Amino acid sequence: MQFGGFGGFVTSALIAGAILWSFATTDVELSRLVSAGPRIADFLGRMFPPDPTVMAEIRKGSAETLRIAILGSLGAVILSIPLAILASETMVSPAVFRPIRTLLAFIRAIPLILVAMLMVGAVGLGPLPGIIAVAFHATGMLAKFYAEAIDGVSRAPIAALESAGAGPLVRLRYAIWPQMAPVVARDTIFRFELNLRESLILGIVGAGGIGFYIQTYVRSFQYDKAASVTMAVVAMVIAIEAINVALRRRFT
Amino acid sequence: MNIAIRIDDLNFAHPGGSVPALERVSLTISTGESVALLGPSGAGKTTLLALLDGRLQGWRGRVSVLGAPLDPDQPPPRASRPDTGFVFQEFALVERSTVLRNVLNGRLGRMAPLRALLGSPTPHDLDIARTALTDCGIADLAERRVDSLSGGQRQRVAIARCLAQEPRLILADEPVSNLDPTRAGEVLALLTGAAQARGATALFSSHQPDLARRFAQRIIGMRDGRIAFDVPTSELNDDATAELYREVEPLPGLSLRAVS
Repeated sequence: MQFGGFGGFVTSALIAGAILWSFATTDVELSRLVSAGPRIADFLGRMFPPDPTVMAEIRKGSAETLRIAILGSLGAVILSIPLAILASETMVSPAVFRPIRTLLAFIRAIPLILVAMLMVGAVGLGPLPGIIAVAFHATGMLAKFYAEAIDGVSRAPIAALESAGAGPLVRLRYAIWPQMAPVVARDTIFRFELNLRESLILGIVGAGGIGFYIQTYVRSFQYDKAASVTMAVVAMVIAIEAINVALRRRFT
Repeated sequence: MNIAIRIDDLNFAHPGGSVPALERVSLTISTGESVALLGPSGAGKTTLLALLDGRLQGWRGRVSVLGAPLDPDQPPPRASRPDTGFVFQEFALVERSTVLRNVLNGRLGRMAPLRALLGSPTPHDLDIARTALTDCGIADLAERRVDSLSGGQRQRVAIARCLAQEPRLILADEPVSNLDPTRAGEVLALLTGAAQARGATALFSSHQPDLARRFAQRIIGMRDGRIAFDVPTSELNDDATAELYREVEPLPGLSLRAVS
């Protein structure tokens, strides 16, 4: 990108304006940050040493988060298969794939935590609203990825099967699916990783999982316990990433 | 004698194309004939073969294949498509599937739709696929994945898939252009031999006159979308062949190969 001439000036002025506007209209008192030094130290001090007695809660919360991610991902995969076919440029007409793609873009635009809050309101507390929220939110991305995988395969074998008299679904199964399978596996694992990461905090809005305990311990000033749970979350995220890297290597 | 292909005053231009791809083409091919389409790149060979396979619409004229007229505006009914087999220039195989799976793909149009979708070939389907593999000399490759095969082996898989279709007409677009001369001879012998053994009609395109001469009973020369000559192989003379390639490719195939 180049910033030169009048266009460059306008761009710079807009960016500077946005920053100044944010500072001027938000209550950012740097002095508060300085005076808070001892309080932050105290806060961190109370987190240490982490309380190891909450292992049972960590285990229970992690297991629930894992279940939410697994079932949510399963729901997203099931929803994504028909939606991907309907969102594919090569399987259906523009009159079908255009509105479906718009719908998927809308779904992607709604943050998971917002969906979870709405679902808690609709079906009550617990892992169920979390599962529904993950399934719904993840479908927006997964169906788009699957559709792109369908459209990205080599066309020649599809034409060959059509020439041999195979119908559209049979072509999908024997000419398109074998070509797109590694992409689908990679995308699904990637989305599962995101689902697991994002569902760690679902408990904060009452949609189940380990986030519930972080919420509870912070609210009741049990920072040492909150620290233990936070460390467990960090360990889980690192583990998920390591497993994902190993899995992805197998599918490329 | 039965007629396999009858074309009457066929004209076709690719959508958006300014020059016609096929112009005033008329020809008749009898059942069981082995015919070569000879001509330089851009002569219209691929277009004519794809059109006969029912993959092109928007042409003018009259075309009938295996006794049924083709509709210029829509693809032929699915039930009739297995009767016309096609061997693609770039093989058009599913690279990540096994050789046997690719050959069974040729059976999909012959299976009941639900059986095809569920992927449970009958013993009869498997029998035909295995026979096609054996005929093509690749029975030992059945469980190998196509992406592990050489070009010559892939072309044999493509032919086996076409044979598994049990076609009454075999169309082949430059079936040996990717192969060295020895392999090319073997594969064309296989293709025309298998067609003959099954009583099927074979029409293949080539830009190599010597190969066309060896494996076809009749040679149709094409240039600029028109038929330049249509003669029994024994009557093909070198002047006519030279005329076909005049100014287009002084040494047929050589310049193309140098680029790729």
